[in-house]
Amino acid sequence: MKPVKTDPVLHELESRVIWHANDMGRTLPEIRFFILDRIEFASLLEKHVYPTSPVNIWEGKRMVTKKFNIETGQESSLYYEVVQTGNPAYAYLNNSNSPMMQASVMAHVVGHCEFSELNVLQDSNPDRTEYVMHLVKKVNMGQQQMGEKNYIQFWNAAESVIPLIAPHSQHNLAHSVEDDSFRYKEAESVENDSPTPKLMRPYSYTMDVLLQYDSVEVAWEKEQKKKDHQEQISRKGFRLYRPCQDILGFLCRYAPTSRAEKAILDYMYVSHSSHDFVIRSQIMNEGWAMYWEKKIMLKLFAEKAVKGVIDYARVFSGVCSPRPFFMRNPYHLGYHLWNHIEELYRDGKVELEFIEETDQHKKETWKKPARTEPVAAMEHLVRTITDYEFLRRFLSEELVEAFYLNRIPKMYVNMLGLNKETIIRDDSQFVWIDPRLVKEEMLMFFTHFQRPRIYLIDTDFIDGGLLLLHRNDGKKLRKDWIRPTLRNIHYIWKGAVSLVSGGSLFTYSNNRLSEKNVPEMTFEQVIEQMKKSEKPISA
Amino acid sequence: MQEDKINSNESEGVFNDFIDEKVSDMIDEILNEGNLDTLGDRGSEIIVEIDDIVVPTFSYGDGSEGQGGGGQGPGREGGKIRFNLPFNKFMALLAEKLRLPNLTKEGKGKIKEVSYEFRTFAPVGVILDKKRTFKRSLRTSIGTGTYAPAQGRYDIQFLRRDKRFKVPQRVEKPRFKAVVFYMGDISYSTYGQRLASEKKMVNFIKNWLDFNYGARNVDHRFFVHDVKAYEVQENEFYQVGNIGGTRAAIVFELIYQIAFGEYDTGTTNFYGFYFGDGEIFGSDGQEIVQILKEDICPVFNRIGVVEVFPSQWSKLIVELEKEFVFDRIVRLSRYRSNSDTVLTIKKLFAEPGQE
Repeated sequence: MKPVKTDPVLHELESRVIWHANDMGRTLPEIRFFILDRIEFASLLEKHVYPTSPVNIWEGKRMVTKKFNIETGQESSLYYEVVQTGNPAYAYLNNSNSPMMQASVMAHVVGHCEFSELNVLQDSNPDRTEYVMHLVKKVNMGQQQMGEKNYIQFWNAAESVIPLIAPHSQHNLAHSVEDDSFRYKEAESVENDSPTPKLMRPYSYTMDVLLQYDSVEVAWEKEQKKKDHQEQISRKGFRLYRPCQDILGFLCRYAPTSRAEKAILDYMYVSHSSHDFVIRSQIMNEGWAMYWEKKIMLKLFAEKAVKGVIDYARVFSGVCSPRPFFMRNPYHLGYHLWNHIEELYRDGKVELEFIEETDQHKKETWKKPARTEPVAAMEHLVRTITDYEFLRRFLSEELVEAFYLNRIPKMYVNMLGLNKETIIRDDSQFVWIDPRLVKEEMLMFFTHFQRPRIYLIDTDFIDGGLLLLHRNDGKKLRKDWIRPTLRNIHYIWKGAVSLVSGGSLFTYSNNRLSEKNVPEMTFEQVIEQMKKSEKPISA
Repeated sequence: MQEDKINSNESEGVFNDFIDEKVSDMIDEILNEGNLDTLGDRGSEIIVEIDDIVVPTFSYGDGSEGQGGGGQGPGREGGKIRFNLPFNKFMALLAEKLRLPNLTKEGKGKIKEVSYEFRTFAPVGVILDKKRTFKRSLRTSIGTGTYAPAQGRYDIQFLRRDKRFKVPQRVEKPRFKAVVFYMGDISYSTYGQRLASEKKMVNFIKNWLDFNYGARNVDHRFFVHDVKAYEVQENEFYQVGNIGGTRAAIVFELIYQIAFGEYDTGTTNFYGFYFGDGEIFGSDGQEIVQILKEDICPVFNRIGVVEVFPSQWSKLIVELEKEFVFDRIVRLSRYRSNSDTVLTIKKLFAEPGQE
């Protein structure tokens, strides 16, 4: 791994890219570029784009497989770009790429870094890579304290919980668990759920309570509830008041772990939590990066800082090639949507005047500069929305057609179970389906990300055990994996762990898995029960 | 950034250790069942398949396929990990399991073979020598007082300076030449189970000697006899058959003649393995004993005599036992059932008394 300044050509390109980005008014963190060889690159990816990682069998397995695939030609070692955002951001260049490709990678990285800085999910944080390196050191120290066997067992158990990370879910830790650190804030929000009309503005909380028109029963109930909450928090240190989807986050904070075990959970959580941001904003993010990459590259070609515009065009069109909606290509969709949005703002097609215009001809030839600068408006979108809203607001039926999202190769028709009513036309190779269905399906992706939705709904189920809920998506969980997964969570929580899924209650306790039927409950019913401080399911 | 090189060597090492354990289990299984067919062709790589390991998670899918995770961590998806195991590594593991000593090689070995082996140790490197590191750490911990059982302190500190890594070193080895004579009695009914057992043992002997000497340095020669003895090709060794009288001494005589006539006895290592039903007639037994004692033992490294599925009339080993009990050169074994494969191999190659 070499810093980019060791290569004069790349160092010069880096300075030009950063100069143009600043000239275009981009908001950038400090970006540190490094050059890696292909095996280092492969290893970096297996370490989740951090330069170090604790020893673990899974990375070893993936790396051994990858090396074998690279050596036997089954896998290309040419990676396009890899960046760990944050401030500073660390971007990695593959030493086998040409200078033109390296420049395009740098320009692309600029887009990602700015997106990370501006986005609504507040992805960027200071010293992220350094913090992960610090956690790796803690895990390595913990490994010696735990002993090899315990370390491997705990690490493997924690791997099972990685998919249960959801820091940006509406059911994340901050919105589902209260403890001493944010008890008062959350207590206020609970109060706000059932606001009592206030007839006068009191000058103190005591007066507020005294002057409320609550009956004695209601006041008593409220007081009792508050007492219960406080007792629960003082007894256990936390209280779950809504379903929590960020289960690894919960375990990190509240599982009864040793310092070494906590270090492993912290590393897992920190190194994987950015995946949630990626999946929720990938289309906007990759589109933003492609958009600014192209702008910067055109400047570099114009000033002859790099050569090979034809090659660049070839690579660019390859990366941005259209694919059907279910094989979504975020580069293609994001890039074209951002261009479309720029056009909307440039021609004033977002103004009320345009929307209220009834003459179709006028609408089609509409060109009135908007009051907002297109780029400023686009930045505002980055700061305020994620992919779901991005697609809901801007992906029209015409664009679904224009981006070929509803064009499906015939070989996939049976696999997708498409019926004749959904197909609107076909030719020898493809079928075209109803664009409305495409948008619906693409939006649906953001509700479950094609993964089971698992929530923590009770932390005192059986002898202080956890109760998890699989939210019904009409699909069944893989049954033979329920036992090992529950066993792994049990290993971390050190108590019974249960799972409700599709009318069955699975409980793993004392090295045994039991299964019994329970009445099926909807997610909304569970929330209602929890709101009333009642157990969603009795043991 | 402190790291100069990004790599996954340590994690790969952990995975390779895991694979080693699996291979070791697999070899145990092979040995318990006496199934040496896995050895494959001479010197070829062995293709090993083990259950894939996958992290169990809550996921969608058909629960009917595969089985749940067997351990605390790795689950099984029903898939397989397939990899090639180098022949030499496989044989080394097999030898370790069977506790077979390296064969004593003789000869000048003028031609050198160069290889790289982990023979030395250094404070820096890639592959941590866990045993050596632990010993040094224990010594340091005792010295610094963090490990003092008498005072109830059991902490062992692993300091950087105590770490020792395996470092490859260029090793030059003399190249030895070996000749192996396989002798078979074609007068008995060599088919079915007998043939399969004989093939298993011959296959193992070939691989074992190839592993010890290097495949290019070993001549494997096949001889059969009834009342006459003659050399055959390997495939014919298992095919020719004749019902009639038999005389085993002549095949021992023949290999002795060939050893002296065709090879330099000063630089060549000779091995001979006889397979038959052990039914001998007349003075055949005494003649064999005489040839072995006077001619063969002084120049051969090892002679193995195996009675395959012996009958009540099998007398060859009875005769030989009178002269060669616990002999360093001449090894005798009765192969009565498939479970005797490993025992026979041990008798042929282990140190006397260690089998």
